[in-house]
Amino acid sequence: MISLSLYQRALRLYPTLHREQFGEEMIAVFRELQAEMATKGMFAWNRFCARELAGVMAGALREHWRVLGGDHFWRLFSNRRFTMHTEFRFPKATAGLMIIILAGVILAIQRGEAIQRSLPYANPHVGPIHPVPSNLLPGIVIGLAFFYAAGLIGWAILFALRRSGVHRLDETSAK
Amino acid sequence: MEVLPLTQPVLLILLSLAGQPRHGYSILKDVEQMSDGRVVLSTGTLYGALRRLLEEEWIERIKEQDSSRGRQAYRLTTRGRRNLQLEVGRMKQLTRLANLRIAVKEA
Repeated sequence: MISLSLYQRALRLYPTLHREQFGEEMIAVFRELQAEMATKGMFAWNRFCARELAGVMAGALREHWRVLGGDHFWRLFSNRRFTMHTEFRFPKATAGLMIIILAGVILAIQRGEAIQRSLPYANPHVGPIHPVPSNLLPGIVIGLAFFYAAGLIGWAILFALRRSGVHRLDETSAK
Repeated sequence: MEVLPLTQPVLLILLSLAGQPRHGYSILKDVEQMSDGRVVLSTGTLYGALRRLLEEEWIERIKEQDSSRGRQAYRLTTRGRRNLQLEVGRMKQLTRLANLRIAVKEA
């Protein structure tokens, strides 16, 4: 069951700009739909709840992807033209999320290694299993650091190009 | 950027606005009615599409008299109407070709 307050909380998943532009309207439309669905029985109500939750989550992901320049990235290939995104921003929340994911991966690896160390005593018939020092963790850290650095360099290049005003040349030629 | 061919939700949203300006709820209901209930958009899908269409200037926002309830109405721009006509023309051509091919096969 999805209430208005839950829907409002789910809307917080959207980027701020989108919320400011459409948040109030989305809530108003949701209210009207909610009132209509309340009269249509449990089956229709459940379908409505599932649709709305899935829609908001997928929509929020899509909008974050767009803010990060994902749409623009694919457009570079589809149009074979280099046009700058008008509102390229790197949300602070994304950096926080990436750190949480990294911490989760490191914790999972450490936990795995602890389980591995406990294995030699689990099956004495096979013989002692000696834990092998894992080189997976440094590999993952180096890999992630590499991708972060590559992303940062890419972002810096796009930012510098945008500051230089290259994207306006395309608008000029279009006119 | 919206490019032809349009996705079904976008096409239906544009068709909904082709007749008259509408606000969000009205668009949702009209899309559902036009598609005989096959396409039921969520608010997330609708406002994602509206945002893209506004950005591409295919539609524009207009002030509605009853704006106290957070309602905003949308209408097609000239560019949006032209692109919709292009898409419908493309579909007509495709339908004509399909009919021809099917007729040949049946004969």
